[in-house]
Amino acid sequence: MTFFILQVLPYIAVMIFIVGMVWRLCRWLKTRNVHNVVLTPTPKTSCGVAVRYVKEIFLFRSLFNGDKSLWAGAWIMHVTLAGIIGGHIVGFAFLGQQFIYMGVSADTSVFLSKLLGTTFGVILAVALLYLLYRRLSINEAKLTSYFADYMHLILLLGIVSAGNFMRLVPGYSVGFEVPKIYMIQLATFQPVTIDPLMNTAFIIHLLLVQILLIIFPFSKLVHLVGIFVNRLTVDRSYVEPAPGMPVANAGVSVGNAASSGKKTT
Amino acid sequence: MSVNKYTAPAMAKEKEMRALSIIPVSDENKVKEALKHLKHLVRKFRPLMLAMESCTKCGHCAENCHTYLGTRDSNNIPTNRADLFRKAWKATHTLEGRVFGKLVGAEPLTLDTINKMYAYFYQCNECRRCALVCPFGIDTCEVTFAGRQLLHWLGMVPSLHASVGEAMYRTGNHTGLPKPGLVDTCEFLEEEILEESGVDIKIPIDKPDSDVLYIPSSADFLLNPETMMGAARFFHYLGINWTMSSAIAEAGNFGLLFDQRYTLRFNTMRLLDEVIKLNIKKVVWGECGHGWRAGKMYVPSMTDRPVPVPIVHLHDETAHYIRTGQLKLHPEVNNKPITLHDPCNFSRACNLGAKLREVLNPCVTDFREMTPNHERNFCCGGGSAILFDDPGMYDLRIKFSAKKAEQIRATGIGENGDGYLVAPCSICKAQFYPILEEHDLGVQVKGLIDLVGNALYPPINI
Ligand code: HEM
Ligand code: SF4
Ligand code: SF4
Ligand code: SF4
Repeated sequence: MTFFILQVLPYIAVMIFIVGMVWRLCRWLKTRNVHNVVLTPTPKTSCGVAVRYVKEIFLFRSLFNGDKSLWAGAWIMHVTLAGIIGGHIVGFAFLGQQFIYMGVSADTSVFLSKLLGTTFGVILAVALLYLLYRRLSINEAKLTSYFADYMHLILLLGIVSAGNFMRLVPGYSVGFEVPKIYMIQLATFQPVTIDPLMNTAFIIHLLLVQILLIIFPFSKLVHLVGIFVNRLTVDRSYVEPAPGMPVANAGVSVGNAASSGKKTT
Repeated sequence: MSVNKYTAPAMAKEKEMRALSIIPVSDENKVKEALKHLKHLVRKFRPLMLAMESCTKCGHCAENCHTYLGTRDSNNIPTNRADLFRKAWKATHTLEGRVFGKLVGAEPLTLDTINKMYAYFYQCNECRRCALVCPFGIDTCEVTFAGRQLLHWLGMVPSLHASVGEAMYRTGNHTGLPKPGLVDTCEFLEEEILEESGVDIKIPIDKPDSDVLYIPSSADFLLNPETMMGAARFFHYLGINWTMSSAIAEAGNFGLLFDQRYTLRFNTMRLLDEVIKLNIKKVVWGECGHGWRAGKMYVPSMTDRPVPVPIVHLHDETAHYIRTGQLKLHPEVNNKPITLHDPCNFSRACNLGAKLREVLNPCVTDFREMTPNHERNFCCGGGSAILFDDPGMYDLRIKFSAKKAEQIRATGIGENGDGYLVAPCSICKAQFYPILEEHDLGVQVKGLIDLVGNALYPPINI
């Protein structure tokens, strides 16, 4: 079983994730923007549209304008999540020594790396708990939620908790080296040498991530791509036709209050 | 015909549907036919597909929809309204829906759901406030559009919408007024203007070789005569060679509201034909929210020919002439406390929000913004012409306008019983006439061009 989780499932999960996302995106791009459905007021230039686009995707502008507490929960959750995903890649690649390029010693770098990872991990867990609490307590959120909506949060919480557990409980840390070697072995299609009994928390963490990857393309998590596509539909620039009407030369009597300047532009 | 257990407007009879060239589908075949249309629609329209597949169910849209605020009916939460489609889409066209069913919100389509669609897609005002607040820009209005399209193809259209559609085919306006009626009304209004302002202003119909074709809401002939007179005063003041057309004396386009195929296109082509016939140089649209959305955003994608002339809105023009100082206005004649209701289609779909203020401000002395305003404003509760008089539906109209009443009350304009609510949209006006009374607000409805007209030609007897 552990062998399956460590050696076989990762390939299946990644394949399903990639093929699933490509399939989903194709399915969306096969549809058309038949009519112009911009949301106004629109930015006037493509530059303005780009700014709007960035604000929506990276700052959750619409959410911010509408509901500050949901915005805070959602934004912090996503930012810490992004930070952690980034941290996994950089941290393992450089074995925690990425910060020496900023002029600190190797030891300090590893310390910083761990501190950042742990902090983000804890904040992410808190943000996820808040979002779960919100779904369970706010009537409107309850009225719109299905079982799956709770499960997504619980799954993420599971992943984060297993991760935090390894960070915070002495003796369960796997360090930087072990996962790095494991990843390299997976990526180069070699048998993995990791000790299957080494660390239950690590196995659980890994299993849940793989489940996430598998369900990702078939769940609401596709909003990751959806936001890019949908924002391009409703946020576009619009150029207004020139104002000013042709003025009659004859036949129309001009009333008493008519002013002098009747030029059109 | 099955009895609908949900609160829904009276449905058009088979005869009325046949007048729209639709043969109603029998109850036994409805589900099968609906699934066909569902697939066709979702596969075609991107905003619809994304509403089906990328909503995170965050619920943010709930308290931003006045229909939910007014009724607290969970079916009126935008994302749940979209579920009427989404459940069936998931159950038939997604892997997760087929495997996990109800756990992920998938449910096979039933006749009951179709009846529920009829009720709740006609309880949506198509106001797009949900799209404004959704973090992804998911537009439940698009789902309502598609839902009503599907229902139309099944033969399920409210009598109100079907009869208006039929009147449009027959006469070229929603009120069903034939040309002599239009001409008579215009002559009457010309006399009114002469009496009120002492100027002789013509209101022409079908005048050949006019430069500007004005597209009024047909309601302006009878229900909102001040709006018609205001527009006439404005054109006259500038010496514009303008006319209206008896073939398309209608700014509205109910195609947008129940049939975005044939009906929308038919009305659009009717306009272009008139432009050619009367040798028009520019089309100017009147005060109608959904109609202007159709005119501005849907004419380009619906016509079978290139659009030969610019099409602009009346308030694009008034704003321009005010900005360039070409109008001498007398704001002191509009000295009542005034607030502005932003027609949703103007502010969220047609970029007019700022212009309405550019026009209104110099025409009045006591303008007070309601909150929220501009594109964040709430709908009047009549949007997409759900102006039904059936008792259950009329009651809903009052509830849908609860938020609006609260906004108006907060401005304090009605405290002395003489406030003006400016609502430059025919459907808003039709909603407000009875609804302001229901909420006892001490406020009258006005069009925006009404006030411009007054400020241009002050009444002579005050
Ligand atoms: C560019 C990338 C992304 C953007 C712009 C984005 C944006 C959003 C927004 C605006 C919400 C709505 C707020 C809310 O429901 O709390 C949301 C919800 C959510 N997102 Fe993302 N997201 C992105 C990527 C991801 C990824 C990669 C994941 C997970 C692996 C994820 C997981 C979630 C979850 C679970 C929710 C629902 C939260 C809840 O139930 O309250 N998102 N996302
Ligand atoms: S705001 Fe958007 S994402 Fe959130 S529930 Fe409503 S439609 Fe879905
Ligand atoms: S379009 Fe308006 S009425 Fe319809 S669901 Fe959205 S917010 Fe509600
Ligand atoms: S009737 Fe007026 S306020 Fe109401 S939806 Fe149309 S534009 Fe909106």
